[in-house]
Amino acid sequence: MPSAGTRFEGPAIDAHRLGVEYNLRLTRKTTIRHSFYNLLQPRPPTRFWALRDVTFRVDHGESLAVIGPNGAGKTTLLLVLAGIIQPSKGHVEIRGKVSSLLTLGAGFDTELSGVDNIVLAGAFMGIDSREMERRLPEIIAFADIGPFIDAPLKTYSSGMRARLGFSIATAVDPDVLLVDEVLATGDQAFREKSRQRIEQLIRAAKGIVLVTHDMNWVTTFCNRALLLEEGHVVAEGDPADVVTIYQEHSERARLEKEAEALRLRLQGVL
Amino acid sequence: MPTRETANPSGASCYGTPRVATTVQLRTSYGAARPNALRLIVEGLADMWSRRQLARYLVRAELTKTGANTVLGNVWWVLDPLLQLVVYVVFVSLIVGRTSPDYPLFVFAAILPWKWFSSAINDAISSVVSRERIIKQVHFPKIVLPAASTLSGVVHFAFGLIPLFLLMVLFYRDRVVWTLLLIPLVAVVQLIFTLALAVVLSAVNVFYRDVGNVARHALRLWFYLSPALYSVEQVRRFTENQPTIGFVYGLNPFTVLFEAYRAVIYDGVLPSFVALAVLLGASMILVGAGIYFFKRLEPAFAKVL
Repeated sequence: MPSAGTRFEGPAIDAHRLGVEYNLRLTRKTTIRHSFYNLLQPRPPTRFWALRDVTFRVDHGESLAVIGPNGAGKTTLLLVLAGIIQPSKGHVEIRGKVSSLLTLGAGFDTELSGVDNIVLAGAFMGIDSREMERRLPEIIAFADIGPFIDAPLKTYSSGMRARLGFSIATAVDPDVLLVDEVLATGDQAFREKSRQRIEQLIRAAKGIVLVTHDMNWVTTFCNRALLLEEGHVVAEGDPADVVTIYQEHSERARLEKEAEALRLRLQGVL
Repeated sequence: MPTRETANPSGASCYGTPRVATTVQLRTSYGAARPNALRLIVEGLADMWSRRQLARYLVRAELTKTGANTVLGNVWWVLDPLLQLVVYVVFVSLIVGRTSPDYPLFVFAAILPWKWFSSAINDAISSVVSRERIIKQVHFPKIVLPAASTLSGVVHFAFGLIPLFLLMVLFYRDRVVWTLLLIPLVAVVQLIFTLALAVVLSAVNVFYRDVGNVARHALRLWFYLSPALYSVEQVRRFTENQPTIGFVYGLNPFTVLFEAYRAVIYDGVLPSFVALAVLLGASMILVGAGIYFFKRLEPAFAKVL
Protein backbone atom coordinates (compact mmCIF):
# COMPACT_ATOMS: atom_id res chain seq x y z
CA MET A 1 0.00 0.00 0.00
CA PRO A 2 1.47 3.35 -0.95
CA SER A 3 -0.15 5.33 1.82
CA ALA A 4 2.51 4.84 4.47
CA GLY A 5 2.49 7.07 7.48
CA THR A 6 -0.90 6.09 8.79
CA ARG A 7 -0.92 3.91 11.83
CA PHE A 8 -3.22 1.27 10.47
CA GLU A 9 -3.16 -0.63 7.30
CA GLY A 10 -6.31 -0.85 5.31
CA PRO A 11 -9.45 1.15 5.77
CA ALA A 12 -10.61 2.31 9.17
CA ILE A 13 -14.04 0.87 8.55
CA ASP A 14 -14.82 -1.85 6.09
CA ALA A 15 -18.49 -2.70 5.95
CA HIS A 16 -19.55 -5.48 3.69
CA ARG A 17 -23.17 -6.09 2.74
CA LEU A 18 -24.48 -5.15 6.16
CA GLY A 19 -28.01 -6.08 6.95
CA VAL A 20 -29.85 -5.44 10.18
CA GLU A 21 -33.17 -7.04 10.83
CA TYR A 22 -35.45 -6.04 13.64
CA ASN A 23 -38.03 -8.37 15.01
CA LEU A 24 -40.79 -5.97 15.91
CA ARG A 25 -42.46 -8.48 18.14
CA LEU A 26 -39.39 -8.72 20.35
CA THR A 27 -38.73 -5.02 20.52
CA ARG A 28 -42.03 -4.45 22.24
CA LYS A 29 -41.57 -4.49 25.95
CA THR A 30 -42.95 -7.92 26.49
CA THR A 31 -44.62 -9.43 29.47
CA ILE A 32 -45.37 -13.08 29.88
CA ARG A 33 -49.05 -12.41 29.21
CA HIS A 34 -48.20 -11.13 25.74
CA SER A 35 -46.08 -14.16 25.02
CA PHE A 36 -48.93 -16.48 25.86
CA TYR A 37 -51.16 -14.39 23.69
CA ASN A 38 -48.70 -14.68 20.84
CA LEU A 39 -48.44 -18.42 21.35
CA LEU A 40 -52.18 -18.82 21.15
CA GLN A 41 -52.57 -16.57 18.17
CA PRO A 42 -49.63 -17.19 15.90
CA ARG A 43 -49.25 -14.23 13.63
CA PRO A 44 -46.75 -13.87 10.86
CA PRO A 45 -43.55 -12.59 12.45
CA THR A 46 -43.28 -8.89 11.95
CA ARG A 47 -39.78 -8.48 10.68
CA PHE A 48 -38.27 -5.39 9.30
CA TRP A 49 -34.93 -4.69 7.68
CA ALA A 50 -33.50 -1.46 9.01
CA LEU A 51 -30.43 -1.86 6.84
CA ARG A 52 -30.00 -3.84 3.70
CA ASP A 53 -26.88 -4.59 1.71
CA VAL A 54 -24.89 -1.63 2.96
CA THR A 55 -21.33 -1.73 1.73
CA PHE A 56 -18.81 1.05 2.18
CA ARG A 57 -15.32 1.88 3.32
CA VAL A 58 -13.88 4.69 5.35
CA ASP A 59 -10.15 5.20 5.15
CA HIS A 60 -8.15 6.67 7.96
CA GLY A 61 -8.28 10.42 7.69
CA GLU A 62 -11.56 10.37 5.89
CA SER A 63 -14.80 11.67 7.24
CA LEU A 64 -17.97 10.21 5.92
CA ALA A 65 -21.33 11.91 6.25
CA VAL A 66 -24.39 9.72 6.39
CA ILE A 67 -27.51 11.55 5.37
CA GLY A 68 -31.06 10.56 4.62
CA PRO A 69 -34.64 11.08 5.73
CA ASN A 70 -35.88 10.04 9.16
CA GLY A 71 -36.10 6.30 9.54
CA ALA A 72 -33.61 5.60 6.78
CA GLY A 73 -31.39 3.56 9.08
CA LYS A 74 -28.70 6.14 9.82
CA THR A 75 -28.70 5.62 13.55
CA THR A 76 -28.91 1.85 13.13
CA LEU A 77 -25.79 2.04 10.99
CA LEU A 78 -23.94 3.91 13.71
CA LEU A 79 -25.10 1.39 16.30
CA VAL A 80 -23.67 -1.43 14.20
CA LEU A 81 -20.38 0.41 13.70
CA ALA A 82 -20.13 1.02 17.43
CA GLY A 83 -20.66 -2.70 18.03
CA ILE A 84 -23.81 -2.04 20.00
CA ILE A 85 -25.99 -4.17 17.79
CA GLN A 86 -24.82 -7.10 15.76
CA PRO A 87 -25.56 -7.20 12.06
CA SER A 88 -27.94 -9.93 10.98
CA LYS A 89 -26.14 -10.24 7.67
CA GLY A 90 -22.72 -9.34 6.40
CA HIS A 91 -19.88 -8.09 8.51
CA VAL A 92 -18.00 -4.97 9.42
CA GLU A 93 -14.38 -4.64 10.34
CA ILE A 94 -13.03 -1.71 12.25
CA ARG A 95 -9.37 -0.97 12.72
CA GLY A 96 -8.69 1.19 15.70
CA LYS A 97 -10.32 2.40 18.85
CA VAL A 98 -13.93 3.44 18.42
CA SER A 99 -15.63 6.20 20.30
CA SER A 100 -19.24 7.00 19.81
CA LEU A 101 -21.08 10.25 20.34
CA LEU A 102 -24.43 8.76 19.67
CA THR A 103 -26.72 10.48 22.09
CA LEU A 104 -24.76 12.84 24.19
CA GLY A 105 -24.93 12.30 27.88
CA ALA A 106 -27.66 9.70 27.66
CA GLY A 107 -25.70 7.15 29.61
CA PHE A 108 -25.01 9.41 32.53
CA ASP A 109 -26.01 8.60 36.05
CA THR A 110 -27.92 11.60 37.34
CA GLU A 111 -27.20 10.89 40.99
CA LEU A 112 -23.44 10.99 40.52
CA SER A 113 -21.23 14.04 40.14
CA GLY A 114 -19.67 15.13 36.87
CA VAL A 115 -16.26 13.78 37.84
CA ASP A 116 -17.73 10.42 38.88
CA ASN A 117 -19.58 10.24 35.60
CA ILE A 118 -16.42 10.93 33.63
CA VAL A 119 -14.62 8.12 35.42
CA LEU A 120 -17.58 5.77 35.03
CA ALA A 121 -17.95 6.60 31.34
CA GLY A 122 -14.26 5.86 30.90
CA ALA A 123 -14.71 2.51 32.59
CA PHE A 124 -17.67 1.69 30.36
CA MET A 125 -15.56 2.50 27.33
CA GLY A 126 -12.82 0.26 28.65
CA ILE A 127 -10.25 2.92 29.33
CA ASP A 128 -7.75 2.24 32.06
CA SER A 129 -8.45 4.24 35.21
CA ARG A 130 -4.93 5.67 35.35
CA GLU A 131 -5.28 6.80 31.76
CA MET A 132 -8.63 8.34 32.60
CA GLU A 133 -7.22 10.13 35.63
CA ARG A 134 -4.51 11.57 33.43
CA ARG A 135 -7.10 12.93 31.03
CA LEU A 136 -9.49 14.14 33.67
CA PRO A 137 -8.19 17.76 33.85
CA GLU A 138 -8.35 18.05 30.08
CA ILE A 139 -11.93 16.76 29.94
CA ILE A 140 -13.04 19.05 32.75
CA ALA A 141 -11.35 22.02 31.13
CA PHE A 142 -12.96 21.36 27.77
CA ALA A 143 -16.44 20.84 29.20
CA ASP A 144 -15.98 24.15 31.01
CA ILE A 145 -18.91 23.89 33.36
CA GLY A 146 -17.15 25.39 36.36
CA PRO A 147 -17.96 24.25 39.89
CA PHE A 148 -20.84 22.11 38.61
CA ILE A 149 -18.33 19.40 37.83
CA ASP A 150 -18.59 18.26 41.47
CA ALA A 151 -22.37 18.53 41.66
CA PRO A 152 -24.71 15.64 40.85
CA LEU A 153 -25.77 15.50 37.24
CA LYS A 154 -29.41 16.05 38.04
CA THR A 155 -28.55 19.70 38.64
CA TYR A 156 -27.16 20.13 35.12
CA SER A 157 -28.86 21.82 32.22
CA SER A 158 -29.19 19.77 29.06
CA GLY A 159 -26.54 21.92 27.43
CA MET A 160 -24.09 21.19 30.23
CA ARG A 161 -24.72 17.48 29.89
CA ALA A 162 -24.09 17.63 26.19
CA ARG A 163 -20.84 19.51 26.75
CA LEU A 164 -19.66 16.94 29.24
CA GLY A 165 -20.60 14.13 26.87
CA PHE A 166 -18.81 15.74 23.98
CA SER A 167 -15.63 16.34 25.90
CA ILE A 168 -15.54 12.77 27.21
CA ALA A 169 -16.11 11.18 23.83
CA THR A 170 -13.51 13.26 22.06
CA ALA A 171 -10.90 13.33 24.80
CA VAL A 172 -10.37 9.59 24.71
CA ASP A 173 -8.32 9.88 21.55
CA PRO A 174 -10.41 7.69 19.29
CA ASP A 175 -9.18 6.33 15.99
CA VAL A 176 -12.71 6.11 14.72
CA LEU A 177 -15.30 8.59 15.88
CA LEU A 178 -18.99 8.08 15.36
CA VAL A 179 -21.13 11.18 15.69
CA ASP A 180 -24.90 11.37 15.61
CA GLU A 181 -26.46 14.81 15.22
CA VAL A 182 -25.02 16.31 18.30
CA LEU A 183 -22.93 19.08 16.98
CA ALA A 184 -25.65 21.65 17.25
CA THR A 185 -25.82 21.38 21.03
CA GLY A 186 -24.64 23.90 23.52
CA ASP A 187 -24.35 27.62 23.14
CA GLN A 188 -22.63 29.50 20.35
CA ALA A 189 -19.22 29.44 22.00
CA PHE A 190 -19.29 25.71 22.71
CA ARG A 191 -20.53 24.94 19.24
CA GLU A 192 -17.55 26.78 17.85
CA LYS A 193 -15.24 24.90 20.18
CA SER A 194 -16.66 21.49 19.27
CA ARG A 195 -16.42 22.44 15.62
CA GLN A 196 -12.73 23.10 16.09
CA ARG A 197 -12.33 19.86 17.97
CA ILE A 198 -13.91 17.86 15.16
CA GLU A 199 -11.69 19.62 12.65
CA GLN A 200 -8.70 18.77 14.79
CA LEU A 201 -9.73 15.11 14.90
CA ILE A 202 -10.19 15.01 11.15
CA ARG A 203 -6.76 16.55 10.67
CA ALA A 204 -5.26 13.97 13.02
CA ALA A 205 -6.06 11.38 10.37
CA LYS A 206 -8.86 9.63 12.17
CA GLY A 207 -11.88 8.11 10.62
CA ILE A 208 -15.15 9.84 11.27
CA VAL A 209 -18.69 8.84 10.50
CA LEU A 210 -21.11 11.69 10.96
CA VAL A 211 -24.86 11.44 10.90
CA THR A 212 -26.48 14.81 10.52
CA HIS A 213 -29.27 16.81 8.99
CA ASP A 214 -27.13 19.91 8.81
CA MET A 215 -26.01 20.04 5.17
CA ASN A 216 -23.46 22.75 5.94
CA TRP A 217 -21.58 20.28 8.08
CA VAL A 218 -21.68 17.72 5.34
CA THR A 219 -20.16 19.96 2.73
CA THR A 220 -17.63 21.71 4.93
CA PHE A 221 -16.34 18.82 7.01
CA CYS A 222 -16.81 15.61 5.16
CA ASN A 223 -14.92 14.49 2.13
CA ARG A 224 -17.46 11.83 1.29
CA ALA A 225 -21.16 11.35 1.81
CA LEU A 226 -23.52 8.42 1.80
CA LEU A 227 -27.23 8.73 1.18
CA LEU A 228 -29.40 6.15 2.91
CA GLU A 229 -33.02 5.62 2.05
CA GLU A 230 -35.10 2.89 3.62
CA GLY A 231 -32.00 1.02 4.62
CA HIS A 232 -30.37 1.03 1.22
CA VAL A 233 -27.42 3.02 -0.02
CA VAL A 234 -28.85 5.26 -2.70
CA ALA A 235 -25.84 7.40 -3.46
CA GLU A 236 -22.25 7.67 -2.38
CA GLY A 237 -19.52 10.09 -3.34
CA ASP A 238 -18.66 13.75 -3.28
CA PRO A 239 -20.60 15.50 -0.48
CA ALA A 240 -21.91 18.30 -2.67
CA ASP A 241 -23.26 15.85 -5.25
CA VAL A 242 -24.86 13.57 -2.69
CA VAL A 243 -26.44 16.52 -0.90
CA THR A 244 -27.90 17.65 -4.22
CA ILE A 245 -29.36 14.20 -4.85
CA TYR A 246 -30.76 14.10 -1.34
CA GLN A 247 -32.36 17.51 -1.73
CA GLU A 248 -33.86 16.50 -5.05
CA HIS A 249 -35.22 13.32 -3.48
CA SER A 250 -36.72 15.04 -0.50
CA GLU A 251 -38.17 17.75 -2.72
CA ARG A 252 -39.75 15.08 -4.88
CA ALA A 253 -41.07 13.24 -1.81
CA ARG A 254 -42.54 16.50 -0.57
CA LEU A 255 -44.20 17.22 -3.92
CA GLU A 256 -45.57 13.70 -4.12
CA LYS A 257 -47.05 14.06 -0.68
CA GLU A 258 -48.54 17.40 -1.60
CA ALA A 259 -50.01 15.96 -4.79
CA GLU A 260 -51.45 13.09 -2.83
CA ALA A 261 -53.04 15.46 -0.33
CA LEU A 262 -54.41 17.54 -3.14
CA ARG A 263 -55.84 14.48 -4.82
CA LEU A 264 -57.56 13.42 -1.61
CA ARG A 265 -59.00 16.89 -1.17
CA LEU A 266 -60.25 16.90 -4.75
CA GLN A 267 -61.88 13.54 -4.18
CA GLY A 268 -63.65 15.03 -1.20
CA VAL A 269 -64.90 17.93 -3.30
CA LEU A 270 -66.15 15.82 -6.19
CA MET B 1 -5.26 8.84 -0.61
CA PRO B 2 -2.67 11.52 0.03
CA THR B 3 -0.14 10.81 2.72
CA ARG B 4 -0.79 12.62 5.93
CA GLU B 5 1.75 13.18 8.65
CA THR B 6 0.27 12.60 12.03
CA ALA B 7 1.46 13.36 15.48
CA ASN B 8 1.25 9.77 16.52
CA PRO B 9 1.50 9.17 20.25
CA SER B 10 2.39 5.52 19.95
CA GLY B 11 4.97 6.27 17.29
CA ALA B 12 4.08 3.16 15.37
CA SER B 13 4.50 4.52 11.90
CA CYS B 14 5.46 2.03 9.28
CA TYR B 15 7.20 3.45 6.25
CA GLY B 16 8.29 0.97 3.66
CA THR B 17 7.42 -2.61 4.46
CA PRO B 18 3.77 -2.78 5.37
CA ARG B 19 3.79 -5.80 7.59
CA VAL B 20 0.95 -6.50 9.91
CA ALA B 21 3.22 -7.67 12.69
CA THR B 22 5.00 -4.34 13.00
CA THR B 23 1.92 -2.20 13.41
CA VAL B 24 -0.32 -1.80 16.38
CA GLN B 25 -3.44 -3.34 15.00
CA LEU B 26 -6.64 -3.05 16.88
CA ARG B 27 -9.20 -4.87 14.85
CA THR B 28 -12.73 -5.45 15.78
CA SER B 29 -15.18 -7.16 13.57
CA TYR B 30 -18.84 -7.75 14.02
CA GLY B 31 -20.56 -10.43 12.08
CA ALA B 32 -23.43 -12.83 12.29
CA ALA B 33 -21.33 -15.76 13.53
CA ARG B 34 -22.37 -17.95 16.45
CA PRO B 35 -19.55 -19.28 18.67
CA ASN B 36 -19.76 -22.49 20.67
CA ALA B 37 -20.79 -22.92 24.30
CA LEU B 38 -17.41 -23.34 25.94
CA ARG B 39 -15.98 -20.35 24.13
CA LEU B 40 -18.89 -18.22 25.27
CA ILE B 41 -18.38 -19.22 28.89
CA VAL B 42 -14.65 -18.51 28.76
CA GLU B 43 -15.42 -15.22 27.04
CA GLY B 44 -17.93 -14.29 29.74
CA LEU B 45 -15.44 -15.03 32.50
CA ALA B 46 -12.78 -13.06 30.63
CA ASP B 47 -15.22 -10.16 30.25
CA MET B 48 -15.81 -10.06 33.98
CA TRP B 49 -12.11 -10.22 34.75
CA SER B 50 -10.97 -7.69 32.16
CA ARG B 51 -13.67 -5.25 33.23
CA ARG B 52 -13.19 -5.66 36.96
CA GLN B 53 -12.40 -1.96 37.12
CA LEU B 54 -15.81 -1.14 35.69
CA ALA B 55 -17.38 -3.48 38.21
CA ARG B 56 -15.51 -1.70 40.97
CA TYR B 57 -16.72 1.71 39.82
CA LEU B 58 -20.27 0.44 39.52
CA VAL B 59 -20.15 -0.90 43.05
CA ARG B 60 -18.70 2.35 44.28
CA ALA B 61 -21.34 4.35 42.40
CA GLU B 62 -24.04 2.16 43.89
CA LEU B 63 -22.68 2.68 47.38
CA THR B 64 -22.33 6.45 47.08
CA LYS B 65 -25.86 6.65 45.75
CA THR B 66 -27.53 4.62 48.48
CA GLY B 67 -27.68 6.80 51.48
CA ALA B 68 -26.73 9.95 49.61
CA ASN B 69 -30.22 11.37 50.09
CA THR B 70 -30.75 10.33 53.69
CA VAL B 71 -29.80 12.13 56.87
CA LEU B 72 -27.97 9.20 58.39
CA GLY B 73 -26.36 8.16 55.11
CA ASN B 74 -24.02 5.23 55.43
CA VAL B 75 -25.05 4.60 59.03
CA TRP B 76 -28.05 2.87 57.49
CA TRP B 77 -25.82 0.05 56.24
CA VAL B 78 -25.29 -0.90 59.88
CA LEU B 79 -28.66 0.19 61.20
CA ASP B 80 -30.75 -1.54 58.57
CA PRO B 81 -29.90 -5.15 59.46
CA LEU B 82 -30.26 -4.35 63.16
CA LEU B 83 -33.77 -2.97 62.71
CA GLN B 84 -34.72 -5.95 60.60
CA LEU B 85 -33.43 -8.17 63.38
CA VAL B 86 -35.63 -6.40 65.90
CA VAL B 87 -38.67 -6.90 63.67
CA TYR B 88 -38.09 -10.62 63.31
CA VAL B 89 -37.27 -11.19 66.97
CA VAL B 90 -40.37 -9.36 68.14
CA PHE B 91 -42.51 -11.04 65.50
CA VAL B 92 -41.38 -14.59 66.21
CA SER B 93 -41.28 -14.22 70.02
CA LEU B 94 -44.84 -12.88 70.06
CA ILE B 95 -46.37 -15.36 67.64
CA VAL B 96 -44.38 -18.53 68.16
CA GLY B 97 -43.41 -17.88 71.74
CA ARG B 98 -40.79 -20.53 72.25
CA THR B 99 -37.55 -19.79 70.47
CA SER B 100 -34.02 -21.11 70.39
CA PRO B 101 -31.67 -19.80 73.09
CA ASP B 102 -29.93 -16.53 72.19
CA TYR B 103 -32.52 -16.15 69.49
CA PRO B 104 -31.36 -12.72 68.20
CA LEU B 105 -27.98 -14.16 67.30
CA PHE B 106 -29.62 -17.27 65.89
CA VAL B 107 -31.72 -15.15 63.51
CA PHE B 108 -29.00 -12.65 62.73
CA ALA B 109 -26.73 -15.38 61.38
CA ALA B 110 -29.37 -16.01 58.71
CA ILE B 111 -30.69 -12.47 58.09
CA LEU B 112 -27.30 -11.05 57.14
CA PRO B 113 -26.53 -13.47 54.29
CA TRP B 114 -30.15 -13.38 53.17
CA LYS B 115 -30.19 -9.59 52.94
CA TRP B 116 -27.14 -9.79 50.72
CA PHE B 117 -28.73 -12.45 48.54
CA SER B 118 -32.12 -10.84 48.15
CA SER B 119 -30.81 -7.31 47.55
CA ALA B 120 -28.25 -8.63 45.07
CA ILE B 121 -30.90 -10.54 43.14
CA ASN B 122 -33.31 -7.60 43.17
CA ASP B 123 -30.58 -5.25 41.97
CA ALA B 124 -29.35 -7.68 39.37
CA ILE B 125 -32.78 -8.16 37.82
CA SER B 126 -32.96 -4.48 36.90
CA SER B 127 -29.22 -4.06 36.37
CA VAL B 128 -29.25 -4.49 32.60
CA VAL B 129 -32.60 -2.83 31.97
CA SER B 130 -31.79 0.25 34.04
CA ARG B 131 -28.58 0.81 32.08
CA GLU B 132 -30.55 0.81 28.87
CA ARG B 133 -29.25 4.16 27.73
CA ILE B 134 -25.56 3.43 28.14
CA ILE B 135 -26.05 0.04 26.49
CA LYS B 136 -27.31 1.87 23.44
CA GLN B 137 -24.38 4.23 23.49
CA VAL B 138 -21.28 2.22 24.28
CA HIS B 139 -20.23 -1.30 23.46
CA PHE B 140 -19.17 -3.11 26.62
CA PRO B 141 -19.66 -6.58 28.13
CA LYS B 142 -23.06 -6.38 29.77
CA ILE B 143 -22.28 -9.30 32.07
CA VAL B 144 -20.40 -6.86 34.29
CA LEU B 145 -23.72 -5.34 35.36
CA PRO B 146 -25.23 -8.32 37.24
CA ALA B 147 -21.76 -9.16 38.54
CA ALA B 148 -21.49 -5.67 40.03
CA SER B 149 -24.90 -6.06 41.68
CA THR B 150 -23.73 -9.27 43.30
CA LEU B 151 -20.56 -7.60 44.49
CA SER B 152 -22.24 -4.56 46.00
CA GLY B 153 -24.28 -7.05 48.02
CA VAL B 154 -21.00 -8.36 49.40
CA VAL B 155 -20.07 -4.89 50.61
CA HIS B 156 -23.37 -4.54 52.41
CA PHE B 157 -22.83 -7.98 53.91
CA ALA B 158 -19.39 -6.95 55.11
CA PHE B 159 -20.85 -3.87 56.76
CA GLY B 160 -23.54 -6.02 58.31
CA LEU B 161 -20.82 -7.97 60.08
CA ILE B 162 -20.07 -4.88 62.18
CA PRO B 163 -23.37 -5.01 64.13
CA LEU B 164 -22.98 -8.79 64.29
CA PHE B 165 -19.66 -8.51 66.05
CA LEU B 166 -20.95 -5.69 68.26
CA LEU B 167 -23.88 -7.85 69.26
CA MET B 168 -21.61 -10.78 70.01
CA VAL B 169 -19.07 -8.81 72.01
CA LEU B 170 -21.76 -7.02 74.01
CA PHE B 171 -24.22 -9.81 74.72
CA TYR B 172 -22.89 -13.20 73.65
CA ARG B 173 -19.25 -13.01 74.56
CA ASP B 174 -19.07 -16.74 75.34
CA ARG B 175 -20.05 -17.51 71.74
CA VAL B 176 -17.08 -15.68 70.21
CA VAL B 177 -14.85 -18.49 68.95
CA TRP B 178 -12.35 -18.93 66.16
CA THR B 179 -14.88 -20.50 63.78
CA LEU B 180 -16.09 -16.95 63.05
CA LEU B 181 -13.04 -16.76 60.80
CA LEU B 182 -14.74 -19.28 58.50
CA ILE B 183 -17.48 -16.80 57.55
CA PRO B 184 -15.64 -15.75 54.35
CA LEU B 185 -15.43 -19.39 53.29
CA VAL B 186 -19.20 -19.82 53.46
CA ALA B 187 -19.60 -16.40 51.84
CA VAL B 188 -17.58 -17.48 48.81
CA VAL B 189 -19.95 -20.38 48.19
CA GLN B 190 -22.90 -18.03 48.51
CA LEU B 191 -21.24 -15.51 46.20
CA ILE B 192 -20.91 -18.03 43.39
CA PHE B 193 -24.46 -19.27 43.82
CA THR B 194 -25.79 -15.69 43.85
CA LEU B 195 -23.79 -14.77 40.77
CA ALA B 196 -25.28 -17.64 38.79
CA LEU B 197 -28.82 -16.59 39.59
CA ALA B 198 -28.09 -12.87 39.13
CA VAL B 199 -26.67 -13.38 35.65
CA VAL B 200 -29.60 -15.47 34.44
CA LEU B 201 -32.35 -13.29 35.89
CA SER B 202 -30.84 -10.03 34.61
CA ALA B 203 -30.92 -11.43 31.07
CA VAL B 204 -34.43 -12.83 31.31
CA ASN B 205 -35.74 -9.50 32.59
CA VAL B 206 -34.71 -7.80 29.36
CA PHE B 207 -37.29 -9.88 27.52
CA TYR B 208 -39.86 -10.37 30.26
CA ARG B 209 -40.23 -7.43 32.59
CA ASP B 210 -42.35 -9.54 34.92
CA VAL B 211 -39.28 -11.10 36.49
CA GLY B 212 -39.04 -8.36 39.10
CA ASN B 213 -42.63 -8.83 40.22
CA VAL B 214 -42.31 -12.59 40.42
CA ALA B 215 -38.96 -12.47 42.16
CA ARG B 216 -40.19 -10.20 44.93
CA HIS B 217 -42.68 -12.81 46.07
CA ALA B 218 -40.61 -15.83 45.21
CA LEU B 219 -37.79 -14.48 47.37
CA ARG B 220 -40.10 -13.94 50.31
CA LEU B 221 -41.50 -17.45 50.01
CA TRP B 222 -37.98 -18.84 49.67
CA PHE B 223 -36.94 -17.06 52.86
CA TYR B 224 -39.77 -18.51 54.92
CA LEU B 225 -39.19 -21.97 53.47
CA SER B 226 -35.52 -21.81 54.41
CA PRO B 227 -34.41 -22.41 57.99
CA ALA B 228 -33.83 -18.75 58.79
CA LEU B 229 -36.28 -18.07 61.61
CA TYR B 230 -36.35 -21.67 62.77
CA SER B 231 -33.76 -24.41 62.99
CA VAL B 232 -33.21 -27.33 60.65
CA GLU B 233 -33.81 -29.66 63.61
CA GLN B 234 -37.36 -28.38 63.90
CA VAL B 235 -37.92 -29.20 60.25
CA ARG B 236 -36.34 -32.65 60.64
CA ARG B 237 -38.81 -33.47 63.38
CA PHE B 238 -41.58 -32.77 60.90
CA THR B 239 -40.06 -34.61 57.98
CA GLU B 240 -38.97 -37.71 59.92
CA ASN B 241 -41.80 -39.74 58.41
CA GLN B 242 -41.62 -38.08 55.03
CA PRO B 243 -38.15 -38.69 53.66
CA THR B 244 -39.03 -37.19 50.26
CA ILE B 245 -39.92 -33.82 51.70
CA GLY B 246 -36.87 -33.98 53.89
CA PHE B 247 -34.72 -34.71 50.87
CA VAL B 248 -36.20 -31.88 48.85
CA TYR B 249 -35.73 -29.57 51.82
CA GLY B 250 -32.07 -30.51 51.92
CA LEU B 251 -31.72 -29.53 48.26
CA ASN B 252 -32.48 -25.90 49.06
CA PRO B 253 -29.12 -24.14 48.80
CA PHE B 254 -30.10 -21.90 51.65
CA THR B 255 -30.62 -24.85 53.94
CA VAL B 256 -26.95 -25.62 53.41
CA LEU B 257 -25.85 -21.99 53.62
CA PHE B 258 -27.88 -21.06 56.70
CA GLU B 259 -26.73 -24.21 58.47
CA ALA B 260 -23.13 -23.39 57.65
CA TYR B 261 -23.41 -19.76 58.76
CA ARG B 262 -25.15 -20.84 61.92
CA ALA B 263 -22.50 -23.46 62.63
CA VAL B 264 -19.65 -20.95 62.47
CA ILE B 265 -21.45 -17.97 64.07
CA TYR B 266 -23.99 -19.39 66.50
CA ASP B 267 -22.82 -22.87 67.45
CA GLY B 268 -19.12 -22.26 67.09
CA VAL B 269 -18.52 -25.57 65.34
CA LEU B 270 -17.18 -26.53 61.95
CA PRO B 271 -19.70 -26.41 59.09
CA SER B 272 -20.46 -29.45 56.96
CA PHE B 273 -17.69 -29.17 54.42
CA VAL B 274 -19.17 -31.92 52.29
CA ALA B 275 -22.47 -30.07 51.86
CA LEU B 276 -20.63 -26.83 51.13
CA ALA B 277 -18.40 -28.53 48.58
CA VAL B 278 -21.41 -30.06 46.83
CA LEU B 279 -23.14 -26.69 46.74
CA LEU B 280 -19.97 -25.05 45.48
CA GLY B 281 -19.65 -27.56 42.68
CA ALA B 282 -23.30 -27.20 41.71
CA SER B 283 -23.02 -23.41 41.82
CA MET B 284 -20.00 -23.47 39.54
CA ILE B 285 -21.91 -25.50 37.00
CA LEU B 286 -24.80 -23.07 37.35
CA VAL B 287 -22.49 -20.10 36.81
CA GLY B 288 -21.20 -21.70 33.63
CA ALA B 289 -24.70 -22.35 32.38
CA GLY B 290 -25.78 -18.85 33.42
CA ILE B 291 -22.93 -17.19 31.58
CA TYR B 292 -23.67 -19.21 28.47
CA PHE B 293 -27.33 -18.23 28.67
CA PHE B 294 -26.44 -14.57 29.17
CA LYS B 295 -23.90 -14.45 26.37
CA ARG B 296 -26.33 -16.05 23.96
CA LEU B 297 -28.94 -13.40 24.67
CA GLU B 298 -26.54 -10.47 24.96
CA PRO B 299 -26.43 -9.55 21.24
CA ALA B 300 -30.18 -9.00 21.29
CA PHE B 301 -30.16 -6.64 24.29
CA ALA B 302 -29.57 -3.39 22.42
CA LYS B 303 -32.29 -4.23 19.93
CA VAL B 304 -34.88 -5.12 22.51
CA LEU B 305 -34.22 -2.42 25.09
